[in-house]
Amino acid sequence: MHKRNLIDRIIDPSETTLAWVLLTPAIVFILLIVAYPVASLIYNSFFDIRLSRGVPIRFIGLENYVAAWHDAMFWRAVKNTMIITAVTVPGALVVGLGLAMLANMPFKRRGLIRLSLLLPWALPLAFVGLIFAWFFHSEYGIVNDIIRRISLMFPGLGWEPQIWFNSPTLTMMAICIATIWKTSSFMALILLAGLQTIPSSLYEAAEVDGASRWTQFVEITLPLLVPSMLIALIFRTLTAIQSFDIPFSMPGPGEEAQTLAMYIQLNSVDYLDLGYSSALAVFMFILSMATTFVYLRYVRGGKD
Amino acid sequence: MKSFFTARRLRWFAAAVVMINGLFPALWILATSLKGEIELTAKPITYWPADPTLQNFMAAFRDQPLLTYLLNSALVAILSTLLSLFISALAAYAIARLNLKRQDFILTAIIAVSMFPLVTLMVPLFEIMRGLNLLNSYWALILPYTVLNLPICTLMLVSFFHDIPRDIENAAMLDGCTRLGALWRIVVPLAAPGVFTAGILAFVNSWDEFLLALSLNSAVAYRTLPVGIQMYQGEFAFPWPIISAALVVAMVPVVIVIIVFQEKVVSGLTSGGLKG
Repeated sequence: MHKRNLIDRIIDPSETTLAWVLLTPAIVFILLIVAYPVASLIYNSFFDIRLSRGVPIRFIGLENYVAAWHDAMFWRAVKNTMIITAVTVPGALVVGLGLAMLANMPFKRRGLIRLSLLLPWALPLAFVGLIFAWFFHSEYGIVNDIIRRISLMFPGLGWEPQIWFNSPTLTMMAICIATIWKTSSFMALILLAGLQTIPSSLYEAAEVDGASRWTQFVEITLPLLVPSMLIALIFRTLTAIQSFDIPFSMPGPGEEAQTLAMYIQLNSVDYLDLGYSSALAVFMFILSMATTFVYLRYVRGGKD
Repeated sequence: MKSFFTARRLRWFAAAVVMINGLFPALWILATSLKGEIELTAKPITYWPADPTLQNFMAAFRDQPLLTYLLNSALVAILSTLLSLFISALAAYAIARLNLKRQDFILTAIIAVSMFPLVTLMVPLFEIMRGLNLLNSYWALILPYTVLNLPICTLMLVSFFHDIPRDIENAAMLDGCTRLGALWRIVVPLAAPGVFTAGILAFVNSWDEFLLALSLNSAVAYRTLPVGIQMYQGEFAFPWPIISAALVVAMVPVVIVIIVFQEKVVSGLTSGGLKG
């Protein structure tokens, strides 16, 4: 090999050098927008930073965390977030699975079916929150209209129109329904792709053995869908923990239906209490990492 | 009883359930946006406007600078998508093609970015952007959105670059093309379907983002659609027909994107997006 001069090396560097040069923009962006902020978040969580009061910034150790421990609003936000996660993650999975099974039937024209699954995925969460707020409107909402019609037909049920956004429980219900609607279609798309990879010969063999539809579903469909389910579930759980857009866009009874993300946003952007909100955000960070860790352990455990 | 559930009827039923579930909310908003004030408050509620009117659409543009919101959303989403594609094309080429140790680790590290909760980034980003005087600017959103889209774009491009035969690239380099020349002239064009799909997913992600847009860009001139659309509500009143009209206007671009590119979006979401 001939000796290369500097200009040659710049124009045509070695592969490894070039690889790192090409990776540089991505690394710089990630350091700047993810790594540095997360580091400064953890650092700030040990300080008293209240920009609105003009108090000098000072180190206070774990006081922000202790304050959070005694903060009833924080725990209520955590509880609401947990409820939304516990309801909407399995909810989206079940509804998504149902939609995927229905959409997997042998249709001649799939265009509209596909569009029906894509639209909820593509709509901004903030729009979905507003749309469902209108559905659940106490006077002119379609949900109360349907309840009214059903109660006229079947007075025995005792159904009555509700003022949804006056009650924390009913508001949480509306939030969960809207969230499940929005997220189940993505779940359905993932599961539909999984369903289409299951060879039909498996079902034919089961048919020959006299297995019922239900047995086929439990013994063939579900186990083969597990890999696609798990990845979708990790992301669904992580986004459920961060629930913000839908509850924020609904009118609601104020603080009582607040999620953790809403409480953090309130403390940082509105109250400018960056120390306390950083501590709360660290808590959410740990919660997310723990969730990912548990899922990944499960995924690995399943492979052994 | 069994004969009632013929295969054909079952298919119709399935199609109806899927379509009502997916399309009804959008159609209901469209119906609401066409209703006049009197019809809206009529009881029982009407399902389709008896006397359709466009006055709500005029009000939607009059009460809030809806066009500004639309343009802001488009600008932020398009620029962050292009930037993200550019950066991830470089990174993906290094990972997929070049002599690099620990490629899997690097790819995993980039994908791990998508595991970080946005809220935890929001608090420090708010402080950083405040310090840099970038609150209420396009960059305040373009920079974070670019990074948020890096994982999906890099992942998809790596898998598409893997599928392009090395021989084509080598032939180009024998003809005097540099490595980078081969990347831009040969690899990226050949991977165009992948680049395009990644771009659509990144665009929709950026278009939908709400938390950062609300926290970092609250000034009227820089609001994006999801934020701006919340501003129609007064302290006590929700002007629902006007909000609905604004929602219809805001939904049109997304609906066009998914109608035109639905096959690409589905393939991107299901295979490329979750491969590896």
